[in-house]
Amino acid sequence: MRLECSGLNFAYPESETMVIQDLRFAMDGPGFHAVFGPSGVGKTSFAKLLANYRSRPELPIQTSGIGTILYTYNLERLPAWSSTGRHLDRVCPADRQDLKKALIDIFQLGPVVGARFSQLSMGQQNRMNLIRYLLQDFDLLILDESLANVDEKLRQTILLAVKELFSHKMFLYISHNLMEVARFCKDILVLTQPSRKKPSKIVSGQDDTSIPVLEKPSLDRVMLEVMNAF
Amino acid sequence: MLFRRIYQFMIVYAVFLGILLVVKKGLSLSDYVIPGLPLILETAVHMSTGFFTDVMDTLSVAILGQGISIFLAFFVGILGRKSSWAGSMIRVTAYNIQAYPIVALAPIIFILLGDGFLSRLLIAAMICYFPLLLSVLGVMAAPVEDIEHFYIATGRMRWQLEVKIRAFENLSKLTTVIAGSATLAMAGTIVAEFIAANAGIGYSIRIALYQSNLAAILTALFMIGIVISVYQGILETLGEMLKAKWGSENKGGLL
Amino acid sequence: MKHAKILGPLLGMIFCICIVGVPDSRAEQISLNYRLKWLFNTSVAGDIFAMEKGFFTAAGLDVTVKEGSPEKDAIKELELGYADFGVASADQVIRALDKGADVVVLAQIFQINPMQWIYRDDQIQITRLSDLEGCRMGITYGGNDETIMKTLLAKAGLTLKDVQVTGVRFDFTPFLKKQVTLWPVYRNSQGVILAGQLAREGESVRFFNPADFGVDFVANSVVTSGKMAAGHPDLVRQFLSVLLDAWEAAMDPSNQKQVLSAVKKYDKGTQGEVQKVQLDATRDLVKPRPDTAVGRIRREAWAQTEAIMLEQGMIRQPVHVTSRLRDLASF
Repeated sequence: MRLECSGLNFAYPESETMVIQDLRFAMDGPGFHAVFGPSGVGKTSFAKLLANYRSRPELPIQTSGIGTILYTYNLERLPAWSSTGRHLDRVCPADRQDLKKALIDIFQLGPVVGARFSQLSMGQQNRMNLIRYLLQDFDLLILDESLANVDEKLRQTILLAVKELFSHKMFLYISHNLMEVARFCKDILVLTQPSRKKPSKIVSGQDDTSIPVLEKPSLDRVMLEVMNAF
Repeated sequence: MLFRRIYQFMIVYAVFLGILLVVKKGLSLSDYVIPGLPLILETAVHMSTGFFTDVMDTLSVAILGQGISIFLAFFVGILGRKSSWAGSMIRVTAYNIQAYPIVALAPIIFILLGDGFLSRLLIAAMICYFPLLLSVLGVMAAPVEDIEHFYIATGRMRWQLEVKIRAFENLSKLTTVIAGSATLAMAGTIVAEFIAANAGIGYSIRIALYQSNLAAILTALFMIGIVISVYQGILETLGEMLKAKWGSENKGGLL
Repeated sequence: MKHAKILGPLLGMIFCICIVGVPDSRAEQISLNYRLKWLFNTSVAGDIFAMEKGFFTAAGLDVTVKEGSPEKDAIKELELGYADFGVASADQVIRALDKGADVVVLAQIFQINPMQWIYRDDQIQITRLSDLEGCRMGITYGGNDETIMKTLLAKAGLTLKDVQVTGVRFDFTPFLKKQVTLWPVYRNSQGVILAGQLAREGESVRFFNPADFGVDFVANSVVTSGKMAAGHPDLVRQFLSVLLDAWEAAMDPSNQKQVLSAVKKYDKGTQGEVQKVQLDATRDLVKPRPDTAVGRIRREAWAQTEAIMLEQGMIRQPVHVTSRLRDLASF
């Protein structure tokens, strides 16, 4: 699995300001990768371009070993006409019923599957939304702030579980939580403002697979490196 | 909701009648110009049964007309929701036709269809159809991206699902417009009857007008108001029940 | 002079709010409002002629002649102070009296009621009222024609159940399509147009005039308020005298060209040839004989009209309309 970008530029129509300029990087292998950077740096724009790059052949994005790319984001909603559990049932392939049950359990949503989406808290809504994406066929799943409003402990549990259950898949995790990104991600693409003329770069994260293995000095080094990158 | 509608109408009607009677008293006008309370009551006792039957006749046509217009509005609204050339054409045509006063087309309708049931039905349907259509088009043409994204991304989106999502997301707007269009349908039917029909409360009002019988007109207005309040109240109550069961308001909105 | 002016619409439907009073005398001219029953056309030729040929101005009157319509009611306007004089149908006058309005009749414009029924003479022959039995006819429910037809049928021992009634609307389609045999028209306006239209298609028509069968239902008359008649008899006499003079002049065949020219100014939609025939028809109704004085009030016709309305329950008690009839001589 390889994702490569060789000089991606992007500006919104009728705008002269570049959102993304000359973006170059490569990420290899399945696992949890990240896109990190301050607000307005073009993380979501990049994610959307990547999700739809096949319909825009002019984009300098190349992949190998990656078929389906899905993009999910914070504040996506499920329809209101039936319970979240029924919605999950409808979008869950028959052969993934066990996975669905496991995810509901890990995501701690068992008690609310009978509730309608509008009756869930924001954190529950985001977790419910993420489950339905994880049940789909994908090779690369872009998670854009998909675990926002979820408490830190549960978020770590979810991240580690996803890494374990979907170890053969590629994830691109967009988050503003530096420690989380540094700790759990493999390659961290640090985006910078085009106006700062500083190229974006890849920083290697710790790629932890369990909670007890926290190595403070090592983590500090990664975080410092990320901070220095923009 | 239902009772609130009725007593709100009663208050408005009483105020309206009160103003008329104050003007009558203040200007010492005869019963010919503004009827006094005894004459109004006498007329009401004498005519209310007949007028009630007439209003129910009008209401039945209005309900049927409204039903047809709701069906047509959704049919055309669903067809015209796409940003394709055909969709755009349907929207523009709907906006343009809406600019025509239906009442101006009424004479043509009566010539073609006569002054019976069909003309009343068609005019009622047409009068409430266009406002409904514009609302439905507005709802159906506006994507609900935060819900639709998943279905599009995973290849599950079908037109039925798209319509369902957009309708449910705008349930409040649609139920309000549908309840509001009841008044339009009723008004359309009354106008049709007033112009040329041979039945219904509009027809009775026309006769009362020929005979300068304001007391009869006031009685008819009361009957229309009460019946339409009940009908609209029922529609609104149904709308509230629908919204409570299916609505997408978040729980913060319920606080 | 005192004045009554009422201003302001009420709840978008019924009007109100006012001040009281009568005509306004500015300099030497006295301002008056005169509300007609219907739109400007040949059937109000005398009113238009009075206005156009300066009859009012010459008498020192500044009269605003206002068009009528189905929604306008001259008697209500008299009471509300919008009008000083007006034209109303006899049934309006009698209904108004029944409801306590203070109205008096000054002149009866139409000696023969223009409300008649048109029919194709190859479809029906009406020589006696019993010929109406089973006939398909148009009736305006609530209108004068319904009252008149009920009376005619009653005279023949029939009711509306003995004929086939079609509700009348604004167009003549049922008659043109031969769905009905008899269709109510105003003899001197719609009647002329329809007769002409059918004549072009080779069909000849006749008019069924209720008066020929003893039903003399009075049509349009000039009215004012009792207060005005009692308080300003000179002004009423002056106005009425000028108006009747104008009508006399307008009905004089020698003035036909000038009358048609005046009418054309206000009724641009009707063709000149049609207006000419309409004027002839109006003359027959207003001045059926050369010696008939325009505006003559026929008391027996008024009494019959009241009797018919009382019999049909259109008024609750006798209103003694003949006591409200004034003519020029009474001022």
